[in-house]
Amino acid sequence: MRKPAATDAHAAFSAVALAAIDDVYRFARSLTRDEADAEDVVQEAYLRAFRSWHTFEMGTDVRRWLFTIARNVFLRSREKGKREVTLDDDGAEIVDAAQAREQWIQGGLDAILERTDLGPAIAAALAELPEPYREAVVLVDLEDQSYEAAAEVLEIPIGTVRSRLFRGRKLLQVSLAQHAMDAGLIPRATPAPSAE
Amino acid sequence: MMRDHAMDTDHIDCASAMERLFEFLDGELGPELEVRLRAHLEVCSHCFGQAGFERRFLAAVQAAREAERCPDRLRSRVLEALQREGWTGSDTP
Repeated sequence: MRKPAATDAHAAFSAVALAAIDDVYRFARSLTRDEADAEDVVQEAYLRAFRSWHTFEMGTDVRRWLFTIARNVFLRSREKGKREVTLDDDGAEIVDAAQAREQWIQGGLDAILERTDLGPAIAAALAELPEPYREAVVLVDLEDQSYEAAAEVLEIPIGTVRSRLFRGRKLLQVSLAQHAMDAGLIPRATPAPSAE
Repeated sequence: MMRDHAMDTDHIDCASAMERLFEFLDGELGPELEVRLRAHLEVCSHCFGQAGFERRFLAAVQAAREAERCPDRLRSRVLEALQREGWTGSDTP
């Protein structure tokens, strides 16, 4: 016997949730930084999403919902209960160093930001960001999520999203400048002033 | 040149402007602060230049968003797992 409600729900799942699989995959890649792990996260996230589909409110942001599920899958896939150290001060020294070299970083980066071949360097720089910053930058800058949505996905206050974004973007600039310098896209830095 | 005047009810100084710059560029600043920060950028060449750089940087990051799509084999794997779970939908919305 046909069950219209279930059929409709399955069709809606296809049209709404599965339509976002590229975004979920990209987000999983950014979380895991590993292709195989990302695929496991995506599969498990979609299974959980399907089982919980009745709880999804149509008309709300499905990507926010799926990102939250995917992140939870990712966190549980790591050693149980053992989160990476995600201190908010992580990276503070690098940000300080970035400020000390602000002129060089901006001057160098500004000259190359419109290059069309910058994608791999940005991806590599992103992959090097400490996790708390990477998550915030990926959600807001790559996945167009609002601060509020990122706060919900990451289960942190909006103020923390704001500070992680600030540091994450500054760290990204340092790392990107380094990659660009290594690739010969921008000149070598003059020695940074010693912090000591 | 940087403007050093302190923040008052109408004006934002450079330090405050830079502190809130990303929120401004992200459209996450409230309307009142947005107007004040925009006004500051109109009269402060240092912060205006900084805003331009950060705007170009964010655009580059966004543009670099990997055109990476979910691999077909993963899509198939997900669909098969869903079917085992009872999903009867179609992959083509």
